[in-house]
Amino acid sequence: MLNDIFNILLPHMCLGGFIILQLILSMVLSPRLYRYARLVSVVGIALSIVLLSTVQTEPQYFALKNSIMSDSYTLLFDFVILVCGFFVALITRNLVKTFKRNAYTFHAILLTAVFAALNIVSANDFITLFVSIELLSFSTYFLIASARGYYSKEACFKYLLTSAISTGVFLFGVSYLYGITGSLNLSEIYEIVANTDSSLMYSISAVMIVLGIISKLAVFPFANWIIDVYKGTESSILAFLSTIPKLAVFGILCRLLVFPLSNSFELTFVIAIISLVTALWANTYAIREKNVKVIFACSASANASYALLAAGLVSVYNLSTVIFYLICYVFMNISVFTFLNIYGDNNPVGVDDFKGMFYKNPGLVGAYAVSVLALAGIPITSGFIAKIYLFTAIANSGLIFIPFLLALLILTVAALYYYLKILFPLFKECDKNTPVPALKPVFSLKFVLIVTVLVTLIIGVYPERFIELCRFIAYNI
Amino acid sequence: MDIFLSIPFLIFMPLVISVLLISPLFTRNEIVVRRFAKGVFVFHFLYTLLMLACFDKANPYISEIHFFGLDWVQALGVKFIFRIDAVSMILTVLTSFVFMLASFASKLNIRRSHKFYYSMLLLLMSAILGIFTAGDMFVFFLFWELELIPAYFLIGNKWRECPPEQEEEAKNSAVKFVLFTFLGSMIMLLGILLLHYYNFVSNGILSASFGDIIDSSIPEYIQNLIAVCLLIGFGVKLPIIPLHTWLPDAHTNAPTPVSMVLAGILLKTGAYGIYRFNYQTLPDSFGTIAPILAVFAIVNIIYTAFVAYAQTDIKRIVAYSSISNMGLILLGLCAFNKIGFSASVFHMVAHGLVTCGLFMITGIVYLRFKTRDINTLSGIASVMPRLFGFAALIVFASIGIPAFAPFVSEILTMIGAMSSDLSDVLKLASVFSLPLLILSSCYMLKFLHRGFFGETDCEKINDISVHEFLVLASVLAGLVIFGLFPDTILGMVN
Repeated sequence: MLNDIFNILLPHMCLGGFIILQLILSMVLSPRLYRYARLVSVVGIALSIVLLSTVQTEPQYFALKNSIMSDSYTLLFDFVILVCGFFVALITRNLVKTFKRNAYTFHAILLTAVFAALNIVSANDFITLFVSIELLSFSTYFLIASARGYYSKEACFKYLLTSAISTGVFLFGVSYLYGITGSLNLSEIYEIVANTDSSLMYSISAVMIVLGIISKLAVFPFANWIIDVYKGTESSILAFLSTIPKLAVFGILCRLLVFPLSNSFELTFVIAIISLVTALWANTYAIREKNVKVIFACSASANASYALLAAGLVSVYNLSTVIFYLICYVFMNISVFTFLNIYGDNNPVGVDDFKGMFYKNPGLVGAYAVSVLALAGIPITSGFIAKIYLFTAIANSGLIFIPFLLALLILTVAALYYYLKILFPLFKECDKNTPVPALKPVFSLKFVLIVTVLVTLIIGVYPERFIELCRFIAYNI
Repeated sequence: MDIFLSIPFLIFMPLVISVLLISPLFTRNEIVVRRFAKGVFVFHFLYTLLMLACFDKANPYISEIHFFGLDWVQALGVKFIFRIDAVSMILTVLTSFVFMLASFASKLNIRRSHKFYYSMLLLLMSAILGIFTAGDMFVFFLFWELELIPAYFLIGNKWRECPPEQEEEAKNSAVKFVLFTFLGSMIMLLGILLLHYYNFVSNGILSASFGDIIDSSIPEYIQNLIAVCLLIGFGVKLPIIPLHTWLPDAHTNAPTPVSMVLAGILLKTGAYGIYRFNYQTLPDSFGTIAPILAVFAIVNIIYTAFVAYAQTDIKRIVAYSSISNMGLILLGLCAFNKIGFSASVFHMVAHGLVTCGLFMITGIVYLRFKTRDINTLSGIASVMPRLFGFAALIVFASIGIPAFAPFVSEILTMIGAMSSDLSDVLKLASVFSLPLLILSSCYMLKFLHRGFFGETDCEKINDISVHEFLVLASVLAGLVIFGLFPDTILGMVN
């Protein structure tokens, strides 16, 4: 037990320690010292990132009676999740200001969510996975509902209902799988499944498990929550919501698809159809939308569906493209929401509110424009490389998936339309009577924006090392 | 290669200066910005001339950029490679030339956001040069996509004071342009991905360079599928008839220098794409498709000529005449022989120059008379004799009068199509392309006749300024030189 902790669980434990520290601080510290909550979280996450170096990955390492595992794959996901958590903790400044004495509690919940995401990725057992997913869901409810106002409560309630249903579906699928294999351990299930023929029952359970998990990505059967949630949530929490749960879910989903659920052909088609319907829905919904946050909600849903299709057509090559896509994607999203946070988002934010802002704030708006262009997949940004690399994966999966690819490609045209709708007002020169806000962000926010945009540009110009890393990880899973 | 002649410098110099121009470091003083940008364009043109002078047909310029000793994306076999052969060289010089003229024309047409405008113009130039010189499919696609953003802003922004409904219209036509092109390029991407994958499966070469693709071992139906995907992508840009609706709107709403660039250069990227991908890389399937494509080319030529005749807006007349002429370029490629091919390259240059001049003339007329309606314009010749002189000569050149460049290419295209041994459809197409000569003289002379002759009640109108004179004179000089010495280009291509 102690051995396990020292070998692979030190980062998790460190984060756990800081959660408890935040809770204690929330009780003992004077409310005037609220602004240090952010600092504590940032230090905690930074320490966890440092402690990742102690994690043993060679060979695959199992701990706590095989319920937790670590290898280079989980290590990469842990690293990206923690980096995202680090940035999100940095940009919660405005939120912490409004919370005052509850700031420490809020940050404790944020750290819990990051902790849960780490656990999801390294889970090797359906019970651990279920508990971690629930922990992530519960902390997300609190984060969404924490903002003042009516919208956030409504958003939280919708998310809660969707999550409850999807959890039910997930558990149902797990119970079937347990009935077939007699085990809840992922490695054991894989051994049993690999040596038997695929049955209909197995396929049904696989579909249900996947459906239960991917509700967090806001894809087709469980997609509607994302509109309300994005509409009603503060941008720093959106930066969390659009990155960390997504990483965690794709982290475990890819592992499930490669190992215990790999024996089902039906699942591939179900996923392909789900992803197509989601892309269709999300991209067409956003065309008429004027609220920037709702547009980003649709973009999040659509981008998840592209990656989902590549992940569904299981192969090692596809896995590497999905990992690369996710890494590029989270950095774009964080920079977008950081900019919205700097702008100060009183709900809702209309597209035209940003009119002419480029001429007052060239640096900030330029960075924002680069991230939006990256989301649209325009060259010199990581989005271009990531999309092309992802689409090669689908193109290589056989002629039968070419119509799916064609449909996705055509739908990205609609996506470009709504991204341009966001971009165009920024560069519009408006007359002298309308006031254009000049933004003066604090250092931490500027730092996050600069780092994420730089990563986006660097990967866009020089992707080779990153792709090489993703290939290495994918081939060693 | 000489140390002075570097392709990366040629392509990325405008890009770097574009970033410099838009950054807050650079002054906002409009005169400084304008003169600086003009200087850059002139320098770039001189540089391409130097490259042209040192060009040797037997050894095309090749340059590969390594990133810390690695290829660009090794997992896909993508190398950041540039290759300038004869066709690329000609189009590079043309690009640089037209952009230089556009920068001269910008002085009177651009009244605000100078920094942003020149930055976008330089970025567009960089992207188009990238398209013309890319030696790898994915690099080609990268520049193809990159060009969208500057083109979007150049068409959509209003660069001078204008009523809000015009502003809205410009924005809509820019969106239309981007969506059409992006749709085409996405389908083209599918073609590129399939070509890349099947080349790997059939030949075992993980590479996307044009030189590494061996089309003969790819199954025929896959080849045709790829060719059709690619053709849709290039057909939007060219444009081929059902995909052309973005063009008149975009050209009409863009300011004069942007229209010059759009019609003079941007349309040629589509023709160049068909040459580089379909004609050169997938010749087998192109041989199958060419007769069908020739029919489209004929529809382009004849249909748009009639549409052009029906227009009342002079800019739209020129825009439709561009589509008509692009049909001729397509027909030259479809002939699939040396004559047709060199004719189509020649016509790219000739039409690039003519359309630049025509858009310049419409721009000058619009600036002076504040209208582009052919029914209200009248008697320009009596108040602007010098403009009339240029207009008459350029219009005659566009009709295909001997001694001007378009004459040579039109005749050569027809000879090429007639001597094609692909199918009898092409011989028929050659015959059907003859009406172009008659129809183009109809709509072009209508433009000249209605606009320039007759009475006018305007009294004091300034004749063309030095900038405008420079643009028109250099266009005309180009047309005459290539008309009298066509072998300068034909010799390079053959």
